[in-house]
Amino acid sequence: MSVLLIVGTDKGAFLLRSDAARAQWTVEGPLFKGWRVTAASRDAQGRTFLGVNSMVYGPAIQVSDDLKSWRQVNGPAYPPGGRRKLTQIWKIFQANDAHWCGVAEAGLFRSDDRGESWRPVDGLNEHETAAVWSPGAGGLCTHVVLHDRTNRQRMWCGISAVGVFRTDDGGRTWQPKNKGVTVVLEDKIYKDVGYCVHGLAQDPDDPSLIWRQDHRGMYRTRNGGDTWEKIERGLPSGFGFPIALHARSRALFAIPLESDEFRMPPEGKLRVYRSTDDGESWTALSKGLPQGHSYDVVLRHALTVDVLDPAGVYFGTTAGTLYGSRDAGESWHALPLIAPRIVCLAASAE
Amino acid sequence: MATLTVRLPRMLSAFADGKLEFEVEGETLAGALDALTTRYPALAVHLFDEHRRLRGHVLCFHNDDNTRWLPSLDRPVKSGDVITIMQAVTGGG
Repeated sequence: MSVLLIVGTDKGAFLLRSDAARAQWTVEGPLFKGWRVTAASRDAQGRTFLGVNSMVYGPAIQVSDDLKSWRQVNGPAYPPGGRRKLTQIWKIFQANDAHWCGVAEAGLFRSDDRGESWRPVDGLNEHETAAVWSPGAGGLCTHVVLHDRTNRQRMWCGISAVGVFRTDDGGRTWQPKNKGVTVVLEDKIYKDVGYCVHGLAQDPDDPSLIWRQDHRGMYRTRNGGDTWEKIERGLPSGFGFPIALHARSRALFAIPLESDEFRMPPEGKLRVYRSTDDGESWTALSKGLPQGHSYDVVLRHALTVDVLDPAGVYFGTTAGTLYGSRDAGESWHALPLIAPRIVCLAASAE
Repeated sequence: MATLTVRLPRMLSAFADGKLEFEVEGETLAGALDALTTRYPALAVHLFDEHRRLRGHVLCFHNDDNTRWLPSLDRPVKSGDVITIMQAVTGGG
């Protein structure tokens, strides 16, 4: 088995490949040179999706079945003349025989033809609270989508700075699920929104077990989001963006930052934090990472894991450095790419 | 029907079979732009907004004329005319 790592950056995408040892990597790219690659994913059938964007030419989804030839698909797009414009592709996710696309301005689209065309998910996009949704520093965006593989009617999505929503009827209606989380932007009327979820990770064997890197801290739910509890023992800060679960080993990874005011690695030390007890406690991992005067940031989609054992863990920074670990985070090494600002990563087996 | 030359910036050539320059036909500038996006549909979303107006940072010249300064795109064209698409971005660091 070999590993493909897609690296989305401010100026194109790069493809890094390695065998199972993950010691030597080849680099291909840039794909879509000059385009900001904001989302990267592969579906179960091997189709690769890239969300691309340009401040001049706008966003679009590019797909490829062989990673050689690419084509642009139709949409997603908000209806002309509406109050919203589609400004960025944030997440492309396969679930329940459909593909789902989270976008900014915040909304969700669904494709029933494997991403060839998209239609808005009105139950979320026209939610009764949508008029008071407010953007965070990264914009007003639907940046994460999860599904329940044991219950096809249940899904979740996260919107910054609005909160987590859940549907229990296949996407027809959505309910805010933020009880227990500290609010960021409290609305006068709608008390269920105004929460700033930054990232979600989910236990594939127990889909109701979800971890949440939030603006206001690290949280966990064991009941599908009905209630959340704080889990920060060992973390230097509750603030951060990315969170990832290596399903095979059940190891969680996060990269906290010093407060929403500063948004830098605490003490200028680049550290990944790992939990092997479902988030009860966290341990710093730093071997091979710069432990002084390191002030670059890992964005919410710029941390990922592969499916091998021991876990391969990868993250890219806003300074364009790309790090990998082939021993579940025990040690780290720089991968052979000095990239533009790294926006997103996706790892898959080839 | 006139035959016009279209020139694209490199970032858009990927959506036109890798071409930086090609020909389209039209009787008017609007018609030639329609022919452009009919031939390469992926370009439409990158050149125009949902109201079929040029995106804010996209420049389009008909020969030496900035099309933003024209009262209408329904102006006649002739063979040999050139449509040049450029990006209007300044500053940054």
